[in-house]
Amino acid sequence: MASKDLYNPPTLADRLLRAVCKNSLLEEIEGDLFEHYQVERAEKPKWKANLAYWFHMFNFLRPFAIKKLGQHSSIIIMYRSYLKFAMRNMWRQKMHTTFNLLGLILAFTVCGLIYLHVQQELSYDRFHKNSEDIYRIAWMSENPQTRTPHPLAQAMVQDLPEVEAAVSLSPIYGAGLTKQSTKLTLEAENISFNEPDGYFVDSTFFDVFDFKFIEGNPETALKNPWGVILSKSTAERYFGDKPAVGSRLSLDVNIDMLEVVGVVEDAPITSHFHFNFLISYVSLKSLNFNDPWMSWADFGHFNYVKLRPESDAKGLQARIPNWVEGYLDWSEEGLERLRAGELRFELQPIHDIHLHSNLRWELESNSSFSYLLIYGISGLFILLISIINFVNLSTARSAERLKEVGVKKTLGAQRKQLLAQFLFESLIISFGSMALAIFAIYGLEHPFNQLVNGNIVADHVWQTSPMIFMISATVLTAVLAAAYPSFYLNSLDPGRILQGTSKKKVGGAAIRNSLLGVQLVAAIVMVSGSLIINGQIRFLKQKDLGFKQENLVIIDLSNYENRSELLKTSFSQAAGVTSVAAVSNVPGGQFNQHPIYTEENPSLTIDAAEAFIDDDAMEVLGIELVAGRMLDETMAADSAGVSFLINESAARDLNLENPVGKNLFWVDNENLVKGQIVGVVKDFHYKSLHVPIRPLIMMSRPRGFNYVVANIDAQNLSSTLPKLEEAYKEIYPQTDFVYRFLDDEIAALYQEESRTLVLTSLLSGISIFLAIAGLIGIVSIAIKQRIKEIGIRKILGATGKQILLLINIRYIIIGSVASLVAIPAAYIFMNRWLDNFTYQNIINPFVFILTAGAALALIFVTISGISIRTIRSNPADALRNE
Amino acid sequence: MKGTQLGEFEELVLLIVGVLHPEAYGLNIREEIISQTKRKVAIGAVHSSLSRLQEKGFLKSELAEATHERGGRRKRLFNITATGKRALEKNHELRNGLFNQIPEIALKGLNFGGI
Repeated sequence: MASKDLYNPPTLADRLLRAVCKNSLLEEIEGDLFEHYQVERAEKPKWKANLAYWFHMFNFLRPFAIKKLGQHSSIIIMYRSYLKFAMRNMWRQKMHTTFNLLGLILAFTVCGLIYLHVQQELSYDRFHKNSEDIYRIAWMSENPQTRTPHPLAQAMVQDLPEVEAAVSLSPIYGAGLTKQSTKLTLEAENISFNEPDGYFVDSTFFDVFDFKFIEGNPETALKNPWGVILSKSTAERYFGDKPAVGSRLSLDVNIDMLEVVGVVEDAPITSHFHFNFLISYVSLKSLNFNDPWMSWADFGHFNYVKLRPESDAKGLQARIPNWVEGYLDWSEEGLERLRAGELRFELQPIHDIHLHSNLRWELESNSSFSYLLIYGISGLFILLISIINFVNLSTARSAERLKEVGVKKTLGAQRKQLLAQFLFESLIISFGSMALAIFAIYGLEHPFNQLVNGNIVADHVWQTSPMIFMISATVLTAVLAAAYPSFYLNSLDPGRILQGTSKKKVGGAAIRNSLLGVQLVAAIVMVSGSLIINGQIRFLKQKDLGFKQENLVIIDLSNYENRSELLKTSFSQAAGVTSVAAVSNVPGGQFNQHPIYTEENPSLTIDAAEAFIDDDAMEVLGIELVAGRMLDETMAADSAGVSFLINESAARDLNLENPVGKNLFWVDNENLVKGQIVGVVKDFHYKSLHVPIRPLIMMSRPRGFNYVVANIDAQNLSSTLPKLEEAYKEIYPQTDFVYRFLDDEIAALYQEESRTLVLTSLLSGISIFLAIAGLIGIVSIAIKQRIKEIGIRKILGATGKQILLLINIRYIIIGSVASLVAIPAAYIFMNRWLDNFTYQNIINPFVFILTAGAALALIFVTISGISIRTIRSNPADALRNE
Repeated sequence: MKGTQLGEFEELVLLIVGVLHPEAYGLNIREEIISQTKRKVAIGAVHSSLSRLQEKGFLKSELAEATHERGGRRKRLFNITATGKRALEKNHELRNGLFNQIPEIALKGLNFGGI
């Protein structure tokens, strides 16, 4: 043993122990640890032995073994004095301290909130087990959509080895493909609610998704017809805390049709869809009706697959066309396009749905990554501006502490100690700010959520990653702010400082000014960016959509009985109603689409959205006719639904010079409808401005009507609506009177833009405020240092104007350079952002001129404002002292 | 007043020091505790207990020769003092006395697992 080489324990642990352990105990403790380590190393791998060594080392950090840090320990005394110095300094310069604290608190709060929001947005759908292997199958065509045929999911599991499980699901759709609420009733208690978010799902739902079962058996729950699974909160509405499984619920008018077979946890906020209840497709299949909706022909369901771990999703996607051909009953031409990749079944990673998918029929409205990016960048800019402020002000102030440093150095303070002191001071301020910022985050949780339509939880700030972010931002701020002054002041010779011969002007002006430039760049980018966002959003809101949206009330028709004619007649008799129309879809809503082609050129087939309208709709909605005529129900062909109106895009895509009078085929699933084009309407934005106008076909089909649109007199709104309700109740006594305003519906399409507008305006305001605050801080110190220079200049005959110019010129140059850097950067970035929009507002160069001009003017006004007193003062005052 | 009470773990350490006499020092005390009681004990815990016992005057210690396997460091060997011995005896008597006072019936009535 003695001759054997000894193992060396981890040196770092050893050194740490030596630093904190009492000298009298060190030898025996070290010896024991060392001996123990030899034994461990002989038996175990090195890392385990090292770990054990560390463990035991830390276990020694007990009061008996640690060096006394009592009242008289020099370390404690030193830090106590640092604290005292820091407090006195902060107290003496109240204005400066408030500035620093406020700026940092503001920045930490904003960044913390945005961090939480971004983190939440990025965490969507990650709660499922192996969520990285879950994909949704989307249908990519000219007008891509989320929905694909129902049999696709299970066929994939059967035929494709990579697919481990798959589920097909669909919301229970109502009129006009809006998500409908379904009335569920617990008869015994007479509890009844209109439940939104009901879904038909395959029995394999829980093989793909992880929603925790509270009651019931996930294996069998969805196997039986008319079983229903409730979400926890839904179950509580009917059953309270009593068990729900086994009870029966009525589905609309079908008494006790559903049996509750399970209760599952509510889907977390971070799920791209939420459900109140699930009914198995088995229920529909048990009805044995041959619904084309359930066939390969109908792209009407949401299909999700879970691949085996490590599967190649891209490779699988490439194999789908050849495989799926066997199932699709398509023309050779369609299959050709599928093979060529013009039409695709695409595997969308479930992680990407919330931020990157904006197809037709998203289950819920998703967020957009481009807005999130803007939030994130704005947050970082604000943090940057604020850190620079803190750093700049601390370094600029360091001149005022020359004497303190000089005295300390002569009394024997080491460089390390001075460094520690400065670091300690800035750590106090930055950690203090962070603590207050966390309070602010708690306070602002709710308003912020409303502002960004987010769901952040302030408590999450204590989670590891936000904490790491906050703490590293705090430490970084403090270190940067302490670094310059301590190195600079350390470098000076104490003797000369105390003599007073050392120059009082603190160096580092170049660094400070370039940092100021960086701040201005960030602020100018943010302001011009938010002006551009503003312009784009205003452009979207003001763009002529091609139809009327004011004073139009949309009233839902009952799903069960179509009495649109009666309702129309009754409504049009009401006072205050100018005109009434019945339609299947309203602009801004969802539209079904089917292929159309002309008789003369059947090979050119295009997909067209469809809308059923009556002959009043064009007039009520103010849609313009370009050629031909409007629908007229007195004509047999029109009322039979074989007279078509198409929009200009459809005419263009069908290659029709003179569309009116041409025969057109409309492929309505299995039915082929042959009709004649009787009119062409001017393109109007029947969907939001996020997508281009696509072909549209309109015809009359009264059983397809879902809404009545009434044009009412705005003046008598309050008296007209009750009248409409009365009339409605007479015709549909069972159904609730549900109405909306078209302009509200349209505005809702641009909610995210409106929110972004508010947020970016707010953030750019904050950035300007912080940048100007920083400028004030720097300039006021600079002026103080130049007081004598100004005095001498005045004595020598300089005018106030000249001196003002002299002080200003440097900052104006910095501002101009910053503008020159910021404007191209903002231009490039904002142009890329605008690419997300189909209809883009052209960036007005005036925006940049305005921002740069305003920034320079603001700089000038600020500087002049704070320097005017010095300039006006009597030079004798400035020169007399000393 | 201070130093008259023996904690449970302290008593254990004190006993082990006696058992290992005259070769008792931190590391082998710990090993003995682990092997005799199957408890998991950190080296630091033993040392802190030893230093407390010494403060209370139950133990005395001296530094031994430096050895190679300790990287040339000396170990501190512990010995029970007269006060320590008395404290152990007192504890022992107290326990025996108390145990003997338990009426027969209470022990018989006790159900030791089993049936």
